[in-house]
Amino acid sequence: MRLLLVEDDLAIQDFLKRALIEAGYQVDVASNAKTGEAIALEGIHDAFIVDLGLPDLDGLDLIARCRAQGSSAPVLILSARRSVDERVRGLEQGGDDYLTKPFALAELLARLRNLLRRSLPAPRESSKIQTADLELDLIRHEARRADHLLQLTPHEFSLLEYLCRNAGRVVTRTMILDHVWRMRIDPATNVVDVHIYRLRSKVDRQTLRPLIHTIRGVGYVLRNA
Amino acid sequence: MAFAVGTAVAFFIVYGFVAKGVRGHIDAWLAGEAEVLARVSADTPRDSVYDRIVEEVAELATQEMPKELNSRGQQLNSVFFLQVNPNNSDPLWVGGGSKERFIEAIRNANLVPGVPQSIHIAGEKAPYRVVLRDQSLGSRVYLGISDRGARHTLHQLTRRFFAVWAGVAVFGFLISYVSARRTLLRIERITETASHIGSEDMSERLPEPANSDEISRLARTFNHMLDRIQSSVNQLRAVTDAVAHDLKSPVTSIRGTLETALLQNDEDKLRDSIGQAIEGLDGVSQVLNTTLDLAEAEAGALKLDRQPIDLSDAVMQLIDLYQPAMAERHHVLTADIAEHVMVDADATLINRTISNLLENELVHLRTPSKIRISLYSQDGSAELVVQDNGPGFPPDIGARAFERFVKGKHSPGHGLGLAFVDAVVQSHGGRIRISDRPEGGAVISVSLPLSLAQPAYAAEMQS
Repeated sequence: MRLLLVEDDLAIQDFLKRALIEAGYQVDVASNAKTGEAIALEGIHDAFIVDLGLPDLDGLDLIARCRAQGSSAPVLILSARRSVDERVRGLEQGGDDYLTKPFALAELLARLRNLLRRSLPAPRESSKIQTADLELDLIRHEARRADHLLQLTPHEFSLLEYLCRNAGRVVTRTMILDHVWRMRIDPATNVVDVHIYRLRSKVDRQTLRPLIHTIRGVGYVLRNA
Repeated sequence: MAFAVGTAVAFFIVYGFVAKGVRGHIDAWLAGEAEVLARVSADTPRDSVYDRIVEEVAELATQEMPKELNSRGQQLNSVFFLQVNPNNSDPLWVGGGSKERFIEAIRNANLVPGVPQSIHIAGEKAPYRVVLRDQSLGSRVYLGISDRGARHTLHQLTRRFFAVWAGVAVFGFLISYVSARRTLLRIERITETASHIGSEDMSERLPEPANSDEISRLARTFNHMLDRIQSSVNQLRAVTDAVAHDLKSPVTSIRGTLETALLQNDEDKLRDSIGQAIEGLDGVSQVLNTTLDLAEAEAGALKLDRQPIDLSDAVMQLIDLYQPAMAERHHVLTADIAEHVMVDADATLINRTISNLLENELVHLRTPSKIRISLYSQDGSAELVVQDNGPGFPPDIGARAFERFVKGKHSPGHGLGLAFVDAVVQSHGGRIRISDRPEGGAVISVSLPLSLAQPAYAAEMQS
């Protein structure tokens, strides 16, 4: 997958490019709207990542211009602004996404994946998810570890499901709150951590190999370490 | 200026009336006297004493008018009497001046009997007002009076009026000038004071005289405005101080952690340090974001994406989220949530508000406590009440709890939470109150207007 990153801050450009290449993408960069537009109109990219605070043109105007000239690739918008105004909302409804700075790389990668998945044909939804000896039945909402049924609350199940769907990838607390509780809040306390601990106490009993891991400073990952 | 013009106009009107009156009076006198003289002339037999009798009567008549003299000693009210006989014998003449000129002028003027007219006499500056009376015997009687008298009177009137008018105009001008100057001086003083009230010295105020005229009110209003500005500036200083403090501490510890990381050889410890630093940065980010949100909310610039929201649902979700954290600290959380309490609100902001209230409880209750959350609708409002049996609000807080960075000396956190809640609730048209429970503990009550969709929803649920 080929991405175009339009970002004027060179330090951000640098680490994003590296992270995206590490995640398996091909990345082209532009430091201003003019160059960005020129490259975008080549039509060879699968998605754009656009910072709104560009020196020569507002990122939203750049997107509008590209769209007007026939570009249809999905856009992930990066912005320091907190509030979402109507124009951004309009883009979100049009299938794009919006991420405020500072963001966790894990979140950017997750949203990017989402964007690209939407442009692909929808895969057949399976009714079971399996990671190592952990099995989730999505229809009956049952989770089994080594065939042993786990007693989970509905939210615990949703949390486990989210971790399993992102098996091997780190998810941040913000992402967990967004997907499992469907809220965009920023708690200062450890509310999410406590949920993870409870889940972990049920899923990773001492006798088994732990699946749920804490990555300090980032979040959690479910994997067979 | 307008005053002067108005007075002048009034004068001209008055002048017109006076002139008319004066002339009218003269004409009436003329007509009356002419009548009298004509009768005398008709009644008196035309013998040798006829002339003398008529002359005497005419003399008496002429003396009826006041013998005014002008500055040059000339008699002003000159009256003449002329009787012309049909046989053109010597006309009878009583009056000053040469009768030939008068006769000449009268002959040239075609007088209508009974109607006083003005005639110019050669050699006389002012015209004469003359009336003619025809007599049965064919003789004509003329009575005339110089207009000099009337003119003199009117001129006197005009001169005197003008003097008064000039005096009044000058006086009026002086008064308005002095008054305007005084006002301008007072305004000048205000302007001067305003210009050197800088941000260094905000303590200066304008003098406030006790009267209630517009300038005094302006001074008072201005002083109030200065009070408010000073209060804002003080608040801003407090905020920047607090933000600096709240950011400097975590930044210091982050820096320290990363510096320590540089010394690490053990990879696990290294990762740990770096992770810790990232968490610290997230905390800094949060202070920044909340401060910005708060600033936006207070400036009234919060953008609300209002939708009908099931507040009961939102509260339940958040209780569910916070429950484990509460249990971890051995708090007992009870909930009494009415069903389907609907409000028109921005979902994200409401979630953050409820989250803030619960965070507040977590952060402030140091020992295991009981927390109770209730939600119900009453009188068109959704009432959300969070109460606990903890230490309650510190006594030094009171109503200032909603100001930024106000927090008890010993309470953790940055003190922005309640300020944010207050701002969000108010921009939704709601209200928040805090108090202490009589049996000990804090109570926070949030009121929000119920959604207009509520009745429809309730009806829907019933059917």
